[in-house]
Amino acid sequence: MFWNNIMKNRWEKKLIILAIIGLVVGSWGMFQRLAYGHLGMNYGSFVPWGLWVAFDLFFLGLTAGAFLITILTYVFRIKLLANLGPLAAFTVLVTLLCEVIIISLDLGHPLRVYRFLITPNVGSMLFWLVVFIISMWLIYAPWFYFLIREHLIAWGNDATRPGHKVYRFLALCKTAYTFQDRQRDHRRTRFLSYLSLPIGVIFFGAHGAIFAILHNRPLWNSAMLPLIFIMAALLSGGALITFLAYLYQPDDKLIHPLGHVVLLILLTFLFLEALQIFVGYQSKITGIVTSLDLITVGPYWWAFWVVHLVIGSAIPAFLLIRYPDNSKMVATACFLIIVTFLAVRLNYLIPDLAVYKLEGLQNTFFHRRLRPEYVPNLNEWLVSVWVISLGLLTFLLGTRWLPVIQAGRGEEEHV
Amino acid sequence: MARDLPAEDPLVRMQRDLKRALKKKPQDIKWGMVIDIAKCIGCHACTIACVAENKLPPGVVYRVVLEEDTGKYPYVWRRFTPRPCLHCQNPPCTKACPVTATWKTEQGAVIVDYNRCIGCRYCLVACPYAARTSDFGEWYTADTAELPGKLFGRKAAANGYEAHPATEYGKKWPERDHGSPVGNARKCHFCLHRLKVGMLPACTTSCIGRATIFGDRSDPQSLVYEMIGSPRVYVLKEDLGTRPSVYYLK
Repeated sequence: MFWNNIMKNRWEKKLIILAIIGLVVGSWGMFQRLAYGHLGMNYGSFVPWGLWVAFDLFFLGLTAGAFLITILTYVFRIKLLANLGPLAAFTVLVTLLCEVIIISLDLGHPLRVYRFLITPNVGSMLFWLVVFIISMWLIYAPWFYFLIREHLIAWGNDATRPGHKVYRFLALCKTAYTFQDRQRDHRRTRFLSYLSLPIGVIFFGAHGAIFAILHNRPLWNSAMLPLIFIMAALLSGGALITFLAYLYQPDDKLIHPLGHVVLLILLTFLFLEALQIFVGYQSKITGIVTSLDLITVGPYWWAFWVVHLVIGSAIPAFLLIRYPDNSKMVATACFLIIVTFLAVRLNYLIPDLAVYKLEGLQNTFFHRRLRPEYVPNLNEWLVSVWVISLGLLTFLLGTRWLPVIQAGRGEEEHV
Repeated sequence: MARDLPAEDPLVRMQRDLKRALKKKPQDIKWGMVIDIAKCIGCHACTIACVAENKLPPGVVYRVVLEEDTGKYPYVWRRFTPRPCLHCQNPPCTKACPVTATWKTEQGAVIVDYNRCIGCRYCLVACPYAARTSDFGEWYTADTAELPGKLFGRKAAANGYEAHPATEYGKKWPERDHGSPVGNARKCHFCLHRLKVGMLPACTTSCIGRATIFGDRSDPQSLVYEMIGSPRVYVLKEDLGTRPSVYYLK
């Protein structure tokens, strides 16, 4: 435990420095985006969504950690995992923040987002996705607040603690936390947890539905896609929360059941993915087969076979099966799943867009924006680095300055 | 042989059809287009006319001519299929837009409100015909040499033409790089600004083979109505159920 704390502090400082470097380096891409709009980016009209949308899906998937914890705690009654509640809720807020920033940067006119409120199209899946993103904020922000409120008040009362006035302010100047307050907050968090279950399923499914409803996109147009997106979110989010649990609350009783759950989700996800590829190839529909060929034997075959299947699936599955009781191995497996998951998101997003939808389109009107070949350029990567660094810094400073870890202890008693 | 030739230029008849249509109540007009691919010679004049009419920037195109090679040497053919926006009667793009920035008018044209569009590009993804393009803010004059203090150079070249967008939808748009349509989804709008003043769309008037027929498809006297009744008629990707207002003749 002692060694772990030393390691954690050492790694925390290094990660904070890394995040600051990321912000500095990425600011060049941000400057390009803010000063010149989309001019310096590589996506075009045939592949209109690129790296940033893939990152958007990636971040949104990572929010599923809290959803998973809620399911395991309230549906499967693994009460011990309730300790991870504040950490999971905080992770959701940080990843949602990253998601909102990166998708706003992807918009041609981000300052017009108020249009969602004044001229909404309730028939559009994208509109509903925004509704559910807002719902997630409305659930997890108060959830997180009610979970840490007791500690905020205690820290605000502690005059020796640096910044105690800020904590007092965050606690809305409340100085006493009574038994009734505690009971009330627990009722509220329990209510929000129950509310997050249906909202979460729809939220993660809605991601898949955005793609699945498009009947002109044969690879996406399947009822299975929303289910795959739910499993993908649970996998990446579950892996993230397990990895964070190992870093911040290295308790074997927490890590081991999470490892089993991640393994189960990983195998289910791979099964669904295999089904999709099998059915796609067997359909022998040119559009689907061409897209699948791009994934499996295209110029970026290694992203599927090496990054996703070997590093992101086979090795983690081996570690989780071979060393289920070794927290370090479980955390390593989860880390590999997280860092390789962007490849999964890119492989869902790009291949269908990268196939001409009309015969003869390739022979007309040559312009780099009207081609199906898409490789993210340096600017796109730099903006992504900036957003990731901002998220990392927010997370690291948040866990330092807010009672994210402390608030979780003893939470299982109240579930 | 001489009897097979049209008695009058189809353009003259279309012009007459247009005048008649404009006298109707707006909601009674249903614009439509028929493209006879047997007459298309692949000159791309319609593409160029459209680009010029709407002052389209690099990478933005409303009407392309698809080129397909068929057969096997020595029996090879090349087929040309002009593809404007098909102005679907059941358009997937308008359903996709989260902020109702694009819709089908009562005359059947699918249009975009540049001031409402947030630039999410979901409509580009949803269009089965790749008929929408995004304006990424590119300039033809971007690589022109800059010569400060001279009457020519990049800025002067841009100011002379492309800095000032066309009056699409009959509106005056701000100087390029100062807001919409840069950052927006853009598409063919049947040259509504021309129709309003009694002119046929630029692609129709520029077609040297008279392969493009435009008019009110609800008017039984119009040429376009007559053409839609041809046994040679078909639409692109009929199986998707989008019911385009642009028809093709084999």
